[in-house]
Amino acid sequence: MDRKTVDFEASRSKDASSDSLGSDSKSSSLNSKLGQESASSGKVSYTSASTTSIGNMMTAADKLRSKQPSIVEPGQPASRPDDPPLLPGEKVMGVAREVTYLCPYSGPARGVLSVTNYKLHFRSMDRDTPYVVEVPLGVVSRVEKVGGQSSRGENSYGIELFCKDMRNLRFGHKQENHSRRNVFEKLQQYAFPLSHKLPLFAFDYSETFPENGWNALEPIAEFKRMGVPNDMWKITKINEHYEICDSYPAVWAIPAAATDDDVRAVAGFRSRARIPVLSWIHPESQATICRCSQPLVGVGGKRCREDERYIQLIMDANAQSHKLYIMDARPSANAIANKAKGGGYESEDAYQNAELVFLDIHNIHVMRESLRKLKELCFPNIEESRWLSGIEATYWLKHIKYILAGACRIANRVETHKTSVLVHCSDGWDRTAQLTALAMLLLDPYYRTIKGFEVLIEKEWLSFGHKFQQRIGHGDDHHSDADRSPVFLQFMDCVWQLTQMFPNAFQFNETFLITILDHLYSCRFGTFLYNSDRERVQENVKQRTVSLWSYINSSIDNYRNPLYLPRPGVLEPVGSIRLISLWKGLYCRWNPGMRPQDPIYQRIRELLVLKEQLEKQVDECKQEQKARVSRNMPTPPRLASPVHS
Amino acid sequence: MFKTHDKRVSMSFRSYVGFNDQENKDVDIGLEENFDETLNTRLLAGEAVVAEAQNVLMFAPLSEKKGKSGILTVTNFKLSFVTTEERPRDERGLQENLLLGEYDVCLANVDEIYQMIDKDKRRKMMPGNNISGKVKGLYIVCKNMRVIQFSFKFSPVGHGKTLTNALLHHAFPRKHHLLFAYDFRERYYNSQGPVTMFNEKKDWEKEIRRTGAVGWKLSDVNQGFQLSTSLPQCLVVPDALVDYQLTEAARHFRCNRPPTWCWSSSHGAALVRMADLLPTITDSRMLVIQPSVIRHSGLSNIIPETRTPENIMLENVRKGHPQRTQPELMELTQDLPSPKDVYGSYCKLRDLCTPDNVRQFWIQDNHFLSQVESSKWLTTVSACLTKAAKAATFLQDNITVVLQEADGRDMSCLISSLTQLLVDAHFRTILGFQTLLQKEWIAMGHPFCSRLGHILNPEVQQSPILLLFLDCVWQLLRQFPSAFEFTETYLTTLWDCAHITVFDTFLFDCEHERQNASQDQSKKITLRSLWDWGEQFLEKDIALFRSPLYHPSKSEAVLNVLCSLPNLALWSQCFFRWIPILELKAGGYPQIDLGVRALHAQIDYLREQLAEAKAGERTSNHRLCAKLSKQRVTSFFPFSATIDPVISPALLNSTLALNNSFVSNEALLDSQSLLNAPD
Repeated sequence: MDRKTVDFEASRSKDASSDSLGSDSKSSSLNSKLGQESASSGKVSYTSASTTSIGNMMTAADKLRSKQPSIVEPGQPASRPDDPPLLPGEKVMGVAREVTYLCPYSGPARGVLSVTNYKLHFRSMDRDTPYVVEVPLGVVSRVEKVGGQSSRGENSYGIELFCKDMRNLRFGHKQENHSRRNVFEKLQQYAFPLSHKLPLFAFDYSETFPENGWNALEPIAEFKRMGVPNDMWKITKINEHYEICDSYPAVWAIPAAATDDDVRAVAGFRSRARIPVLSWIHPESQATICRCSQPLVGVGGKRCREDERYIQLIMDANAQSHKLYIMDARPSANAIANKAKGGGYESEDAYQNAELVFLDIHNIHVMRESLRKLKELCFPNIEESRWLSGIEATYWLKHIKYILAGACRIANRVETHKTSVLVHCSDGWDRTAQLTALAMLLLDPYYRTIKGFEVLIEKEWLSFGHKFQQRIGHGDDHHSDADRSPVFLQFMDCVWQLTQMFPNAFQFNETFLITILDHLYSCRFGTFLYNSDRERVQENVKQRTVSLWSYINSSIDNYRNPLYLPRPGVLEPVGSIRLISLWKGLYCRWNPGMRPQDPIYQRIRELLVLKEQLEKQVDECKQEQKARVSRNMPTPPRLASPVHS
Repeated sequence: MFKTHDKRVSMSFRSYVGFNDQENKDVDIGLEENFDETLNTRLLAGEAVVAEAQNVLMFAPLSEKKGKSGILTVTNFKLSFVTTEERPRDERGLQENLLLGEYDVCLANVDEIYQMIDKDKRRKMMPGNNISGKVKGLYIVCKNMRVIQFSFKFSPVGHGKTLTNALLHHAFPRKHHLLFAYDFRERYYNSQGPVTMFNEKKDWEKEIRRTGAVGWKLSDVNQGFQLSTSLPQCLVVPDALVDYQLTEAARHFRCNRPPTWCWSSSHGAALVRMADLLPTITDSRMLVIQPSVIRHSGLSNIIPETRTPENIMLENVRKGHPQRTQPELMELTQDLPSPKDVYGSYCKLRDLCTPDNVRQFWIQDNHFLSQVESSKWLTTVSACLTKAAKAATFLQDNITVVLQEADGRDMSCLISSLTQLLVDAHFRTILGFQTLLQKEWIAMGHPFCSRLGHILNPEVQQSPILLLFLDCVWQLLRQFPSAFEFTETYLTTLWDCAHITVFDTFLFDCEHERQNASQDQSKKITLRSLWDWGEQFLEKDIALFRSPLYHPSKSEAVLNVLCSLPNLALWSQCFFRWIPILELKAGGYPQIDLGVRALHAQIDYLREQLAEAKAGERTSNHRLCAKLSKQRVTSFFPFSATIDPVISPALLNSTLALNNSFVSNEALLDSQSLLNAPD
């Protein structure tokens, strides 16, 4: 995208009188924005993905190149009017004509279905205003053929797609000539490239942005922001080559008194060597949030003196309290059950002055099932009479409540009791990430800014090895893989709940959250690829793909909350179902019968525009006056207004 | 103990993970200080103390372990609690009622009285009964879902019993003239402003002119309430109708309520309401055709011989349409819940919003959504909105709508006024809304006295139809925030005020009763309109009635409301404000409301600056970095009961005067400080 486009986007977002907000809040960032954006970038597509500029900062050469007319891919037909708009690096792979999109809301529409290496694109031909459906193929979890050559009935023959973003799409094809064969194959290939030995689209995508999102998190700088290193905490590069723990980041902060040998010993006693390290430290009390995995206690109740001493060091690093809370995210029954597999939890006998608390958050399988039920409830049609009890029966909000309540409890111990908290679950990469990240969001206003939130995701989720590849299942066709689970989605839902409870505490808006979730699946950006830092370094993800934050930070105004008031202090949410609501703007967004939730923001943006205009006018007026004065031409005579300086 | 809200105290917080943490910590009653004998209940002119109990402890439920000590009084107006621990008025930042103290409840607001048996056990007491034994404490549930608990543990012997018996009698009077409005002796200078009351002919004339209605005329047939006691004296009826026809027809309708006009669109379609036909009509020809049959067959097919009085009336309504289009008859009795059903829903909802203790609160939390569903409250809201939206669609299609309901005095009021809010922006202003309530509810005889339960009468059905309406309006506010001049605080306040028996607005069952009462020399009553808001509230509170988001020119002429349940929400301000657990510090909708008010203040200030600059004046040095006050409001603002926010009056008063919008620097400072306020 060239400068102009960026400016255009920025100015568009400022133009509150346009309807941009309406569509923003509906927030199919993939559906609405993508269209505009690609339209403006035209048919620019690069010959190959090898045109990598380091970290995609825009070089002069890039700028030049992007201004050139479209470079047509060899073998690709010249662009035709019904071709979908393409992103740089995107190619049309298959087209099917006379396809019927069976919209569950507005009925069947006939048109053209195109499949690219990034998305599915349908454009209706039989309606006055063309009707476009776009789905990035990364969102697709399953593609199936519906009906066979002998199927009877209109539109009984075709393709059905099951998506990770709460929708299914159905297309009807003509029964003659195997009309669906080609697109079906292409869909299979490009929705599940890894299963077909193809690269993910992120490695072909070659758009450049003025901002480089790969710099969002500088670990040392982030520690410094929190005042680390200090007397009690040091930074260690013992895991620089991911040798101690392959799912942890390269740089850790650990108690200053801990030796390398301690670290190695503790690593042996913690599941997957995920030892307790610092996530956050209170700027005043020095109370900390640390994270780890479960201790390898096992049925025999094994102990590890180094681990016990190491935990004592964490406690001692906080002079304000002689106690430490160990928050085990699991229900206690699950924690006990883990002993059979060699895991378990810290016994209060072995860990003096530690108080163990179970937070009753269920595992990834329970959460996956809960979301499945929620999808059944929300898509395509809502059964009104059982809506509320239906929501209750999914348990989705109850899970959200327990996660929020857990985070709230952690924040409370740190803030009010000035006591350090150690958080873990089983492996410490799912529920633990939810809890530490949310607690940090409650405690530290920095994470409530757009850039701060990016840091939070980079740090607590990506660098600490939340297994995005496994949990989302990027590019593979194992749709029923038991490792898939909406853990990150739940976290984002919790964040949204907080933005609803505290409407002016966050710099970002709902569009920001939905955009992140859309690209969690889309595979357009490298951000959420792979399971750990080690894998991302190995695959040169930073060099070979674009960061989602490059895209977002380059049009940051779209994501601002007009009501944001930066202010210090802790957020104190209440974990009651009475204050937790279903995120309809996300889960029900495909249903045109649901109104976007925040018409208020449109009015506020109008007022902000008015305010900006007035400020400008006042400034101009003052400038003009100054100019007059300097030209020694007094302002029009007004006796009552002597000029003071 | 309440006054010293140290900043650090408010920084500390407790998470409500489950009730295990804090349940059942003994509700210990500690005596903080000696009871102050010099406390006095503040009395209004004409108010008299009936009973008093000293050394009473008051508890706000779910919140405080420690009670406040003071004197509890029953007067002919209120249940009053005064305490030395009361916060100074200006520090509260919450809505103040000039007639009631912070812990006072008007007797008409008292819904249920329980006697405390044990810590968590209580027994309901029946109105009018006498208690002979010792009373340990009282647990009172109000009609606006407020709950207050008192303990007589430290009261002198007998005080509890005396007070309870007085309350059981005076909170449930059996005669209308026992309501406080008849005793209130304060001089009244009417300053309610230009609300049209619809109790005079000229008011209806004005409304006909305003809507440009043609085909309709004023009729004096109900002068002296000769035709119907529940209708206004001046009726608007089809042009073609002569008075004797109307008189003849009226007797066939319940409550003698034939079709009368409410509103007309600019194209001529009218909104009309009428009661059901009486089932006792013996004429067989008239029994043949039920309204539902008419609806399905279409009126034009009716053979003249089988015309019922209803059909004759509807034919006249049709003639009132400029294109003689058939009117659409909308049946409300069948399709919408009865007042009794609404009351049942409300009771279930009230139980959900008035948990006994923290433990019950968290137990309810586990099944809250299905319990809300089984209360059917939101289903009813949805049904009302759907009906009104349908009526609005017909009106838009230039088809006259006739609302028909049993007596035509409950759902007709609700649907008729809700429909008008959808189609006529005039009613979305504060003045317009009050006018609408006067027209469709008060003049048209919604039985407020019965439905609000002002009088103890087992014959009549208590039912919060008004609350249901206000909730429907709140759903509109939520979907169209800039279309309404008033705020949800206004609506909530309106519901609170429906239970204050000082004003006549919601005091009578119909205009006829009001007139009789005002003319009765034996028991004089001064009519005071609720719309005279200055009688109850200070400017700072009235300012909060006006929405900073209101932008009439940008809002749609006809509101296309989404009525399905998933698009609706529970009205948290009105229903949750007495549950302290749910209060969010620095959270909730008030942040948006006050944020936009601050924005308006800044815009006003900039306009002033610009005007000065254009006039060639040097702008004065604005001292933007003046002291930053610690202003913070909670999600319950302005109904917060636990935290003391301080909102600058300047901010509230000035910023919404959008047209004459020059705000003092001081106001800007205040808004700035609000914006920059640290915690």
